[in-house]
Amino acid sequence: MKRIRPSRWSGQLLQARRGAGIPAARTPLCLAIRCQSTSSVPASDSSTLDSSSSASPPPPPLPAPSFDRAPQSAKLAALHARLSLSKKIPLQTLARALVTPSADANPNFNNANLAYLGSTIINFHVYEYLVCKWPRLPMAILYEALRAYAGDESLQQIARRWGVEAAAAPGEEVDPGLLQWKAGEGHVVNTRWGYIRSEAAKGKAWRRGLSSRVVLDSDFGDQVSSSDPERLEYNALQSEAFGSVVQAVIGAIYTHCGRDEAKAFVKSHILSRELDPSKLFQFKLPTRELAMLCAREGFEPPIARLESETGRLSRTPVYVVGIYSGKEKLGEGAGASLDVARRKASMASLKAWYLYSPGNKVRVPSDMMEQGAKPWTAPHIDIGEII
Amino acid sequence: MDLRTLLQPATQLLAPLRHLSSSSSSSSVLLPLIATRGHKTTARTKRSLKMAPHDSFLPSRSAAFPAADQIIYNPPASEASPEHTPFLFLPRNDPRRLAIMRLRNTSQLSTSASSSAGADAAAGDGELPPEMRYKRRQPKYNLTKEHIDEMRRLRAEDPLTWSVQRLARKFECSTVFVQMAAPAPEEHLRWLRAKMERKKERWGPIRTAAREDRKRRAEMLYRGEL
Repeated sequence: MKRIRPSRWSGQLLQARRGAGIPAARTPLCLAIRCQSTSSVPASDSSTLDSSSSASPPPPPLPAPSFDRAPQSAKLAALHARLSLSKKIPLQTLARALVTPSADANPNFNNANLAYLGSTIINFHVYEYLVCKWPRLPMAILYEALRAYAGDESLQQIARRWGVEAAAAPGEEVDPGLLQWKAGEGHVVNTRWGYIRSEAAKGKAWRRGLSSRVVLDSDFGDQVSSSDPERLEYNALQSEAFGSVVQAVIGAIYTHCGRDEAKAFVKSHILSRELDPSKLFQFKLPTRELAMLCAREGFEPPIARLESETGRLSRTPVYVVGIYSGKEKLGEGAGASLDVARRKASMASLKAWYLYSPGNKVRVPSDMMEQGAKPWTAPHIDIGEII
Repeated sequence: MDLRTLLQPATQLLAPLRHLSSSSSSSSVLLPLIATRGHKTTARTKRSLKMAPHDSFLPSRSAAFPAADQIIYNPPASEASPEHTPFLFLPRNDPRRLAIMRLRNTSQLSTSASSSAGADAAAGDGELPPEMRYKRRQPKYNLTKEHIDEMRRLRAEDPLTWSVQRLARKFECSTVFVQMAAPAPEEHLRWLRAKMERKKERWGPIRTAAREDRKRRAEMLYRGEL
């Protein structure tokens, strides 16, 4: 079977921008007649413009630097080289990845589309990695692990390590190699994607459980609300702007170079970061949860045994408690009191259950898309959380 | 500094003796009961504090002098990592489970070959550390519907005398079960809550802070920060 290679279609994004002269349904008219791009404005459009606005004053300055100046920018070329991007990705696309919707609201010129495409690719790869690597992670922890890899704060750190710098203020005269963003007053977040509950739309109260987060809400399990768009703080807006650069670059790689390149880039820049999922847990009743786990799995009920102790009559005693199910040891914890040590041992055993991993070299479903991949063996699938 | 702290108790011990000797003026009282040598000089102190390293830190002396290079691996005692899944938690098709089972089988065979079978059976529960005593669920299933109806009647009749503790003792069940099966009437609960509020109002700043700190410490424990 022959594969479709979108990378061979040269300059896809630039071609797509030719339609900028035609007013789209979503863009306001005043923005739609902007002729910022290289030389791709249709002749009919320019003639109508000339006839209508021959005597009018010069147009207002553009909200973001023109893409004509992208090849002259040293910063852009340096970023392109630093990320060792393919030559198929033009500098103009990289320049577009640096223009956020807060600087330029026109979707034909900002990075919103590329960032959305990139975010879906990132989330897909991170999710499949997490699910195959730690198949027993509870859903809430899975969401937080995804946020730790692909959340805005993490992506901001990645962008800053790439050397992306923000312009003091976005404008036409700014170097196109700088991130164009501003924390505007009336900036409305329009990059959240998810379903909205009918109860939320009607303003009724309801219980928002984890299943609602799985089915309806955004990729990170956050609620999406349309009625009152959330007002973010300066820091959140900043991390969103920087994060959108990483997402847009990955979207651009996917568009110009294809799926495999995008996966390799995600793997080397996002999945290579270290995350300790055992830090994400917070328990409520660990001893009871462990007892329920043993009952569900058919193990013998857990029993705490005192393995060793020191300084029982002193000010700082230490007890080491092990949790056993039958003769098998499940976990161990040390604490300054018998109760604390027992609870810590229970938490250690629960973490040992939840953090089971088939190994460090897990295969993910997208590995099967490579040519000549070995036959698929099903990963371990857990029956679910302890309720 | 060390010497002074060591010497301090010695001088304190000597003080009453000196007083005694001055009053009685007889030298025979000064003899100590147990003849032990104290760390009275620097040399003795240093010698007493000098300890040989543990065997695991020393290179192996089994071979002759030009022995092969050896790695001394002696990590400090630390918490077990949760990434080491215990045998029981490994799924059926995990290769680690099969490996551990194979290992146990071979070790069992070797031990049974060396020792008798009776000793192997006796070492079943004796090797495990002692059980801790704590409150845990011990289901008895000794109550019938009549018992529960009786429990509810008593609780509704006089919740003050028939408290949760007393009902649990009478019906030989846990307090949690009593709270689930025969909850107190609403007004009694309200009265209890008001009583607790009145009690809390009498707490001073120290006790209030201590209670809050305890709660915060429990949260830290459950987050794994303690």
